[in-house]
Amino acid sequence: MRPHRPAAPYLMMAPTALLLGVFFFYPVVYAAYRSLYEWDLLTEPRYVGLGNYAHLIRSGELGHALMTTLSFSLVVVTGAMSLGLLLAVALNRPGKFAAFVRGAVFSAYVISWVSVALLWLWVLDADAGVLTASLRALGLPTANWLGDPDVALYTLSAVTIWKIAGYAMVLFLAGLQDVPLVLHEAAALDGASALHRFWHVTWPLLRPTTAFVGTTSLILSFQVFDVVRVMTQGGPVQATTVFVYAIYEQVFLNLRVGRASAQVVIFFFVLLVLTLVQLWLWRRKGAA
Amino acid sequence: MKPSGARSVSRRHFLQGAAALCGAACRRQDEAAGRTVASLWFTYGGRNRQVLERLVARFNTSQSSYFVRAVYQGDYFEGLAKLRTAVAARSGPSFSHVVGEVVPYLFEAQVLEPLDDYPGAGELGILHALGQAGSFLGGSRRPLVALPFNRSTPIAYLNGQIFEQARLAAPTSWDTLREVARRLTVRRGGRVVRHGFGCPIDWWFWVALVGQAGGRIVDAAGRVTLGGDAAVQALELWQDLVQREGSMKPPPGRDYNAWEQTNQDFLAGRTAMIWTSTAFLKYLEENAPFPVVAAPLPKHVERAVPTGGTHWIVLRQAPEHEKRAAWAFLRFMHEPEQVIEWATETGYLPVTEAAIARLERDGYFARHPNAKVALDQLAVAMPWPWSTELFRIQREIVQPRLESAVLSGANAARLIEQARALIEGQSG
Repeated sequence: MRPHRPAAPYLMMAPTALLLGVFFFYPVVYAAYRSLYEWDLLTEPRYVGLGNYAHLIRSGELGHALMTTLSFSLVVVTGAMSLGLLLAVALNRPGKFAAFVRGAVFSAYVISWVSVALLWLWVLDADAGVLTASLRALGLPTANWLGDPDVALYTLSAVTIWKIAGYAMVLFLAGLQDVPLVLHEAAALDGASALHRFWHVTWPLLRPTTAFVGTTSLILSFQVFDVVRVMTQGGPVQATTVFVYAIYEQVFLNLRVGRASAQVVIFFFVLLVLTLVQLWLWRRKGAA
Repeated sequence: MKPSGARSVSRRHFLQGAAALCGAACRRQDEAAGRTVASLWFTYGGRNRQVLERLVARFNTSQSSYFVRAVYQGDYFEGLAKLRTAVAARSGPSFSHVVGEVVPYLFEAQVLEPLDDYPGAGELGILHALGQAGSFLGGSRRPLVALPFNRSTPIAYLNGQIFEQARLAAPTSWDTLREVARRLTVRRGGRVVRHGFGCPIDWWFWVALVGQAGGRIVDAAGRVTLGGDAAVQALELWQDLVQREGSMKPPPGRDYNAWEQTNQDFLAGRTAMIWTSTAFLKYLEENAPFPVVAAPLPKHVERAVPTGGTHWIVLRQAPEHEKRAAWAFLRFMHEPEQVIEWATETGYLPVTEAAIARLERDGYFARHPNAKVALDQLAVAMPWPWSTELFRIQREIVQPRLESAVLSGANAARLIEQARALIEGQSG
């Protein structure tokens, strides 16, 4: 059967395709081209082939940025999903108080990253911060939250979890409300405990939501920049130099556009592969 | 329901507001009408921005030929990034100011306008140590492309109250620095509640220490060598103070964030003495609830400080008429009145001989001895190499190793050796 207007779908897709092409695909392709040059924007670009990639690997910059970002992402994705799910389960009930808490938790997500970073900078000050003062008052040990190379990355992870947990919570709440009540009632009649009902009824039905939350949290955590820029500037001792911040340093502080472009290309493929693997895993589990 | 009167008043207010906005916009156009307009990109916030904008406004009202439009562009590095991008897109400003380390790089990239042939270029009376000739090794052999603007040196600031109570004087050597820092450190319940000394773990202060230990980060041939054994001694001093004696606080954060934290620690009484820039002199004096005493940096085998801050530059690609307007403004800024106002309102160093002579004559330094300390330190100022790679060596190779040595306790000698090998690899 011939479609009545064969060009219509393409015309409808055209605006989005154009926007994606101009603002996404073209920059990536251009970055890939520029990654083959040594260039600082001012002097003539010099062709170096894969030299920028070789330098990033040989100097350890790539490995360091990748490991730092993966560590950060692992903590953030796990933390945000767990906390989001916990909050969703706890707050999936009627009542003004639950609604207020849901709103309060989600409000962190709509505040700008810079505001969140500045707020936490004040809270986490090693000498005069609210957190340190509270821990001291309780006789608990404190740490140099942003100044200790062994602690700083986890501090930033915690701030990020605090910020995005509300987003995960809202998605999980939507997922929870899609779980048919009759399944819970049937399981309860069969003598299943609350924990069993969650594990065997709720959790399998939440799998698509979990896949979505996991993927978006992963992308979000890989793109972290603002909190690093405001709170640690990649330090101390490059302990918080995550991928996007490394690109920023390379292009804006070290004035190396070629190397930054090489990092952009690698970053693009790392993110693409991670997302595909994650989606494939969740779909396979879903099918099973 | 809203009364109808309220609605009409609201509309009237809206129209009045819109008219006022249009008026303001037209007035802004009118101010520059018939004049040659030069755009200035600057990188100051806070008080320094206010002072600069006041000086720009004074220039604009002092004559009718030129109009300078000053636009804020973030901090030094953000400003530089924007400047570079704008130059590449051929949409840069007429002139700007940049940190000294990148002047050779921008010169070699042919971004900077040579200023030697501009009228009165040789008559500005610039203080040698702060101008291009004195700030860079071989700076006088190159075309004049940079004029000093906000120039500074590292300096020590003491909490006058604490020093008086402890009956201690400003340290004059590394040994007394250790001693004073140790004696002024206060511990309570096993934790330090006041550090005797605070300093950002930053290349600029490390270069000062290297100089004090008798080294120079660049050899006579202009190669960056990091200063032989002095480089290690400088780093080991910090390691001792931070890790073994616990008398120095390395602030969290990097770059200017760490500097700001150092200031806040000092103002809050969490450190008794800090090293930071002369640029913060007025800020610290005005905000400290105690007397602030400025002191020169101590010596080890000799006294030495690097200079810092920014230089004015005019962009080669700017149209000729804009360059002329920019030059008129730069000459205006080098007149004693402006140099004095900028220096006395901010804490940056006065950059011309005439301004310093007038300040001396007016008894300013007698009334403000802190301001004199920085000026006197210029006698031991070290010039920077004319190197296009120095800022990258600083950022990519040296700075991470300074942090690693001080915060993680890595072996100083090994780190410096690594840094030297990388620098040789780059230049080879």
